[in-house]
Amino acid sequence: MARASGYYKTGYAQQIALLETRTQKAWLATLALLLVLLPLVAGGFVIDLANQVFLAVIGSVALMLLTGVAGQVSLGHAGLLAAGALTVGVLTRETGAPFWITLPASAIMGAALGIVFGLPSLRLKGLYLGISTLALHFVVTFLGHEYESRRGFSSGVTIDPPRVFGIEIYRPGTWYAVLLAAAVLVVIFALNLLRTRTGRAWRAIHDRDVVAEALGVPVYRAKLSAFVVSSTLTAFAGGLFAYYRGFVATEAFSMFLTIQYVAMVIIGGLGSILGAILGAVFVTLLPYAIEAVVRLVGLEGALSGYVFAINYACFGIAMIFFLAVEPEGLAGIWRRVRDYFLLWPFRATPLARGR
Amino acid sequence: MQLIANIVTLAALYALIASGYVVVYRVSRVLNLAHGEIMMIGAYLLLTTGTIAGGPPALALPLALAASVLTGVAVYVVLMRRMSGEAVFAAVLMTIALGILLRGLATLLWTGQLHHPAQFVGWKNAPVHLPGGAAVSSAAAFTVVATVVVYAALFAALRYTRWGQRLRAVGENPRLAAQRGVAPASAHVIAWALAAFTGGLAGMLLSLDQGLDASVAIVGLKTFPVVLVGGLDSLLGALAGALIVAAAEALAIHYIDPLVSEVAPFLVLIAMLMVRPWGLFGAREEIDRV
Amino acid sequence: MRRIVASLAVVGALACAPPAGAQDLVVGVSALMTGPSAGTYAPVVEAMRLYFDNVNKAGGINGKQVKLLISDNQADASKAAADAKKFLLQDNALLLLNISLSSTYAPMVAEAKRAETPLLFAGSVCPREVYPKADAFLYCTTAFAAQYDSRFALDFIRKTAKEPVKLGLAAMAIPISRAEIDFAEQQLPSLGFTAAGKEVIPPPTANYTPHATKLKEADANWVYSWAPWGMQVKTLEALRTLGWQGSYIAYAHLNAEDELVRLKDDKLFVFGTNAFFQDDLPIHQAIKARATGASYPVTQLGEGWVAAMALEAILKQAGANPTRASVSKAMNALKVDMQGLRGAPIAWTDDNHFRTSVAYRVYRWDSAQGKVIRVTDWTTFDVK
Repeated sequence: MARASGYYKTGYAQQIALLETRTQKAWLATLALLLVLLPLVAGGFVIDLANQVFLAVIGSVALMLLTGVAGQVSLGHAGLLAAGALTVGVLTRETGAPFWITLPASAIMGAALGIVFGLPSLRLKGLYLGISTLALHFVVTFLGHEYESRRGFSSGVTIDPPRVFGIEIYRPGTWYAVLLAAAVLVVIFALNLLRTRTGRAWRAIHDRDVVAEALGVPVYRAKLSAFVVSSTLTAFAGGLFAYYRGFVATEAFSMFLTIQYVAMVIIGGLGSILGAILGAVFVTLLPYAIEAVVRLVGLEGALSGYVFAINYACFGIAMIFFLAVEPEGLAGIWRRVRDYFLLWPFRATPLARGR
Repeated sequence: MQLIANIVTLAALYALIASGYVVVYRVSRVLNLAHGEIMMIGAYLLLTTGTIAGGPPALALPLALAASVLTGVAVYVVLMRRMSGEAVFAAVLMTIALGILLRGLATLLWTGQLHHPAQFVGWKNAPVHLPGGAAVSSAAAFTVVATVVVYAALFAALRYTRWGQRLRAVGENPRLAAQRGVAPASAHVIAWALAAFTGGLAGMLLSLDQGLDASVAIVGLKTFPVVLVGGLDSLLGALAGALIVAAAEALAIHYIDPLVSEVAPFLVLIAMLMVRPWGLFGAREEIDRV
Repeated sequence: MRRIVASLAVVGALACAPPAGAQDLVVGVSALMTGPSAGTYAPVVEAMRLYFDNVNKAGGINGKQVKLLISDNQADASKAAADAKKFLLQDNALLLLNISLSSTYAPMVAEAKRAETPLLFAGSVCPREVYPKADAFLYCTTAFAAQYDSRFALDFIRKTAKEPVKLGLAAMAIPISRAEIDFAEQQLPSLGFTAAGKEVIPPPTANYTPHATKLKEADANWVYSWAPWGMQVKTLEALRTLGWQGSYIAYAHLNAEDELVRLKDDKLFVFGTNAFFQDDLPIHQAIKARATGASYPVTQLGEGWVAAMALEAILKQAGANPTRASVSKAMNALKVDMQGLRGAPIAWTDDNHFRTSVAYRVYRWDSAQGKVIRVTDWTTFDVK
C-alpha cells in the first residue's frame, strides 16, 4: 500500500495488524454501518441479492485460500458444496436433526473430503491436480444422484427453515443478519489464518515448494491443511446454501458452479481476501446487472428468451478480459486506484510486471 | 459381435475427439477445455451450410469443415495468442471461459431446439451390415473410417513432413525451436486449426448420426478422461485410451448397469491418476513429483 | 471497500428500475429456455408470448395489459427459487408459471405456498400434487402426465398387438422418467405382457447403440418409452439401425408431428393429448395466422397455446381488480374449451387441479398414404 513517509512500524503487533491508519478504521466503520443499515432501507429483492453475495463470499474465500494463497489448483469446488448441502439434506430427511447438528456435520464431511481431494496434491501439481479434483467432483455428484434416485427424492430434498431460539429464519431480513455474521466471521478467520504460521507456510508452498521444504516448512502437511481448511469452509457454505434455499438438488451443483467460483477468485485477483470478496460480488451481481441493463434499454420482451445466453456470453467475456488484460483482477485495480489517490499529486511508476 | 462393433464405433468417436485435445496440448501445453464447444460449433456450422447449400453431403461437409477450421484459427488469433507466455493454468481457464462464451453464442444463433442436419444435408443414415449379424449406422461407420484416416495422416505428418517436425519441436522446446527459426505462433495456429478440424468433423458426424443440440458439447467433455488415460501428448495414447474407456462404458452398459456407464470413464481416470498420472503413453516430465 | 458499497448501490438502484404499472396483470414465468431439453419448453413460452402480445394489442383483459415476466432458469433449482422470490417480492406477480424440468419444482412450490400464490405448471410434467386430492395453489395444464400416460399407452398396446407382447422399456436417467417407467413395469403382469428389458439411459450419451443392443437381445417386439423426445427418438433410431423390426410407442412431444414426417417409420406410434396441426381446425389456422415471426416451427406451438388460453380465462374470471386470492378462486372453478386443440377441456375443481377428464390420440406415419395418419381418435379417461 502506497504511503507517504512517516508511518513506521515499531513492533510486531503493528506489523501484523489488519488496520493501520485511522482513515482505514474510519472507512471500515462506515462500511459496517452501511451494511447494518441496508436491510432497513432496501427492498426484499436487494436484501436477497445481498444474501446471495454473502453466501458466495464464504465459498469464494475458501477457494481463494486454497488456490490463491496455497496455489493448489482445485476444480472440485462444486462437489464440495454439494457434499455439504447433501449432508444437511440427508441428515434432515433421514434423522430430522436440527441445524446445530447438521451444519457441524457438513463441516466435518467437508474436512473428510478435503483429505480425499487433497491426497492427489501430494503427488501432482498444477493441471493434473485440477483434473483429479475434477474427477472427484464427478464422483461426488454421481453418488448424490444415486442417493436421490434410490431414496425417492426424485426432484431433491426439501428442508424446513431452521429455528433459533424460536425465531424462524426464513425472511430475507433474518437471513441477512445470519449470513452477514457468517461471512464476517469467515473473512476474519481467513485474514487471521493468513497472518499465522499456517498462512505463511501456504504462501511458501505456493511459490516454490521445494525451497519451502528446504526451509523447513512441512510441505505435505501444509498442502493437506490447505485442502482441509478450504473444504471445511466450502462444505459449511454448502450447508448454509441448503438451508437458505430450503432445498437440495444435486443438479444445482454443476461444473458451471465450479467455474463461477474459480472466476470469482480470478476476477477478484489471486492471493488476497479482498480479491475473494470483490470477485464474489462481481460474479454474483453480473447476471442481475445485465438484466437491469436489458430492462433499462427496453429490450426486455424481445430478448427474454436470450437473456441467459447473453449472461453466459458476458460471463465468458468477463473472464477472458480479466485473464488477458488484468491478471491481478479487481483487487489489483482497486489497489492501483487507491494508490493513485493516496500518492496524489505524486505518481507511482509501476515496476514492469514480470511473471 | 455387436458388442465389439459398439465398442469400436464408440472408441472411434472418442479417439477422433481426443486427437484434437492431444494436438493442441502437444504443441502448446494448453489443455483445451473448450474442445467440446468447438465440436458443437462445427456441427452447427454443418447445419448452417446444409440449410444454405443443401445438396449432397460431399458439398456441405467440406464447406462446414473449412468454416470450422477458420473458427479454430480465429480462436487462436483473437484469444489464445494473448495468453502465450502466461502460466498454463491461466490459459486453461481462458479456454473454459471461451467454452462458456461459445455455448452462449450457439444458443443465441441457433436456439435450443433439437436439430437434424442430416435432413438438410441429404444424408441417409442407413445401417451398414457387418459379418456376424451386427449392424451400425452409416454415420458411425464413416466415423470409424474417418478416425483411421485422420490418425494415419497425423502420424505420417508428424513424423515425416517438415511441418510435423516443426510442430513437435515447438511442443518440446519452444524457445529452442524459435532460435532455430520456427515461429511458435505459426505452429500454434496449425495446431488449433487441426484441432478444430478433427473436433468439428467429430461433432458433425455425431450430429448426422443422432441429432444436434447442446448435448454434443457434453460428449466432448466426457472424452476428457480418454485423453488423460492415454497421456495428454500422445496420439497413440489417445487411441489406447479411447479403446479402454469405450470398452469400459460398453461393458458396463451390457453387463452391469447403464447408469454406471456415466461415471465409468471418471473411475478409470481416477485409477490412472493414482497409479500413473501421466497416462499410458504420455511423457513424464510434466508431472512434478513432490 | 468504497467500491463494494458503490457497486451495491448502483446495482440496487438499477434493480429497482421501473416495476410493472398498477394497471398491469403481472404473471411470473420461470422457464427452461436454453440448454439441453429446452426444445420441449422454450416453444411453450414463445407461444404464450405471441398469444398475449395479441391479447394486449386488442386491449388486454378487463382493460388491463397482461405482463408476462419471463426468466430463464436453465433447469437450475437455485435460479428457479431466485426467480420465484423476485416475482413474488419485487414484481408482485398474481401467479407463477413453471415451464421447466422437474428439478425446479420443489423450490418454486415452497415459495408459492409461502406466499399463497397459485403456481401453474404449463408445459412441464404435472406433479402428483395436482391430481385429486390436489394441493392448494398447484395447478397443471400440461399435456403429459404421470401414470395416466402409461396406462393409456399400455392399454393401446394390448388392443393393437397381434401377437403376445414382449415389452421393452426405455427411460432417461432422470427421476420423472424413471418413476414412470417403473410404474409401467409394475403394470406388466396384470396385462399379460412379458418383460423384455428395461433400459435407463443417462442423458449425455454419445451412442445409443449399446442400449438398443440390450433391448434387441432381450427379444422385445414392442418398446415403450416415456422421456424427453430426443432420447425417445435416438433409441428408436439405434434400434432400427440394428435391424430391429418391432413396434415403438412414445409420447408425442411438441416436435412429434415434424419428426414423424422426418423418420417415416410405419411402426412408430406416438400418443398424446394434443391434436396435430394437420387437422387444420380453425384454431390451428388462428395460430398459424398469429405466429408470424416465431423462432420455432408453428407445429410446436400447440401446447403453449393451450396454456395461454387457460391463463387468459383465469385472468378474465379473476375479476376487475384481481388479487392472488381471486385468481386462486377463479382457478378452482375453471373450465376452458380447447376448441379442438385437446380432446377434453381444461376443467379444474377444488379437488382436481389436473383436469376432470383426459383424452388421448395416437398417430403414426403411413407410407402407403405418404402422410401421418391418426390411428385412434380421442379416448377419454375420467380423472378421479
